[in-house]
Amino acid sequence: MAEVEPHDHNGPQAPKGHDHSGKCDEALAELYVFLDGELTEQKRAAIGEHLDDCSPCLEVYDFEAELRQVIKHHCTDQVPDSLRGRVAKQLAALELDGPGPTAGSDASS
Amino acid sequence: MSGAGLAVFARFARWRLRSPRLHPVPDTLATMADQATFADQAMPYMSSLYSAALRMTRKPADAEDLVQETYLRAYRGFGGFEQGTNLKAWLYRILTNTFINQYRAKKRRFDETELDESEDLYLYRRLGGLEAAAAGRSAEDELMDWFTDSEVKAAVEALPEGFRMAVLLADIEGFAYKEIAEILDIPIGTVMSRLHRGRKALQKNLYEFAVARGLTDRIDPAGTSGPEARPEPVVVGARERDDEPEPRPATAGPD
Repeated sequence: MAEVEPHDHNGPQAPKGHDHSGKCDEALAELYVFLDGELTEQKRAAIGEHLDDCSPCLEVYDFEAELRQVIKHHCTDQVPDSLRGRVAKQLAALELDGPGPTAGSDASS
Repeated sequence: MSGAGLAVFARFARWRLRSPRLHPVPDTLATMADQATFADQAMPYMSSLYSAALRMTRKPADAEDLVQETYLRAYRGFGGFEQGTNLKAWLYRILTNTFINQYRAKKRRFDETELDESEDLYLYRRLGGLEAAAAGRSAEDELMDWFTDSEVKAAVEALPEGFRMAVLLADIEGFAYKEIAEILDIPIGTVMSRLHRGRKALQKNLYEFAVARGLTDRIDPAGTSGPEARPEPVVVGARERDDEPEPRPATAGPD
């Protein structure tokens, strides 16, 4: 495999072991855009076809997709009950204080 | 206020909400129906807003204040929200603007070019495929179990703010590029660039935390290692903060 060249596109370069060189580079260049669901239907299908033929690329795609799930899954937090309570109270207070829809007061800025 | 006046005011309110400095919109615009639906529609987003607030502020007390302030502004501006459009993105725009205006530490502007470029496929090259066996990751080890909640959160929170915002909006909240561009008020090209580089940086951070933990296991098989046995990981973004203590890998707490 050729050494990684400086590139100005945003995608990764194929690691060692990928045989299809040009197609692998292209598939990996679009990895994130593919996983983000931002490719055109056409491009997505083309990459899908390559992944059917190229298990090294498929492995990378699977790994990155799984990693995305891992990150999302681990970044969840419990909302403190005290916060829920404070926000609910705050909104209730605003509802009481706020003028109704028929109020004629000028909008202040 | 007349119907026409109300319509003009609604347009004004929408414009104000789009501008970088978010000003609260007077309550007169929130009709009673709006007030009732606000709770139904907006409150369910609290847990994801809170998580995002934690990643942004890195302090639970600030995160709570940020969420509370966001709901206040959202409520006041709700009359200007177009029903049927993306409420989650609208709320995140308010969250982000409030964070930028009130909680972001005063420091130099985020300059992406200053940061070293880490490799593509950083984690895959070390933990994926054949490298996994060398790293001690057996076939049974799920990637999901490889990192703790604390480590992933710390890895995200250690990212420089520009990368962190893009990554959390895309990878954790699932927004589209266009939505991220609107929430952060940057071009789509910049979103893609920050995502690509931010994800690489995140992978490097994750690896550093994992290595720090893994090395400890090897050094001290008894499993009684304390923080002093653990080498400090070099995380991407640590350099940027000149007014806060260095981020430390969170000790693996209850997940």
